[in-house]
Amino acid sequence: MPGPYKKKKHHTGDTFYKRKYNTKNRKKDLDEIEEDLNEKNSEKLVKQEYDPDKPGEGQFYCIYCARYFIDEFTLNTHFKTKAHKKRLKNLEIESYTIGESERAAGFGSYILPKQRIDS
Amino acid sequence: MRIDTCYFCSSKMYPGHGMHFVRNDCKVFKFCRSKCMKAFKKKKNPRKVRWTKAYRKIVGKELSVDPAFEFEKRRNTPIKYDREFWQKSLEAIKRIEEIKNKRQETFIMQRLRKGRELEQKRDIHEVQRDMSLIKSPATGLREKLMLEQEVIEEIHESDNEMELIPEEN
Repeated sequence: MPGPYKKKKHHTGDTFYKRKYNTKNRKKDLDEIEEDLNEKNSEKLVKQEYDPDKPGEGQFYCIYCARYFIDEFTLNTHFKTKAHKKRLKNLEIESYTIGESERAAGFGSYILPKQRIDS
Repeated sequence: MRIDTCYFCSSKMYPGHGMHFVRNDCKVFKFCRSKCMKAFKKKKNPRKVRWTKAYRKIVGKELSVDPAFEFEKRRNTPIKYDREFWQKSLEAIKRIEEIKNKRQETFIMQRLRKGRELEQKRDIHEVQRDMSLIKSPATGLREKLMLEQEVIEEIHESDNEMELIPEEN
């Protein structure tokens, strides 16, 4: 074959998408996070017990994004990121539920989702 | 026979179709097809996806609030069997379905009518703006000039007459 041979290896297939959307790697849904934001649950999540298996021993947790961080500095930098701000915006409105999907199908009137009152 | 509703697109799910996803907290999510299941896995928001019922109702494409919707509902209280009640409700279902369809259709027609009005307004504006394309601005200019010349000539003639009149006297 003339010319230089192909050095770059382009990935083929959708394995990395499959891994990303695997149920094993599934992260918390918005309605689950909404429950976490209740006063009862949020206190427990912010002040967690020392767990050596978790990043930062489970001491630096962002409730909105459901993520552990290794120290306070990274947690604070995370608060400035686009992903975190976008999550905050998504959580402003009540999350989509199974009941809402039924109401959209015509079982009862469909009422517009309300703004969520922050705890 | 139980007909479920899809979690994502809120369409009907007949027996033998779709998939169930049970989350860690025991909530059961039902999906009519793999399309909806994949969208759920990608954490898409059904309110923002255009082909779902939730989107259509939120944006106002379909009738969302109506007393006709209140009959068919998930009620978690059991009702004691009563033959007469059963027969009456069967008849009522048909009538309610009829009314519901009629109201939904009229809602959509009214929505479309507004679009038609706007279209007409836009058309009128467009015609008025681009009048020069339909009728050349030069049309009638020559006739106007001719008319003006005729008027001038007439005036001149009348002037001559005026001049003539005093000479006679």
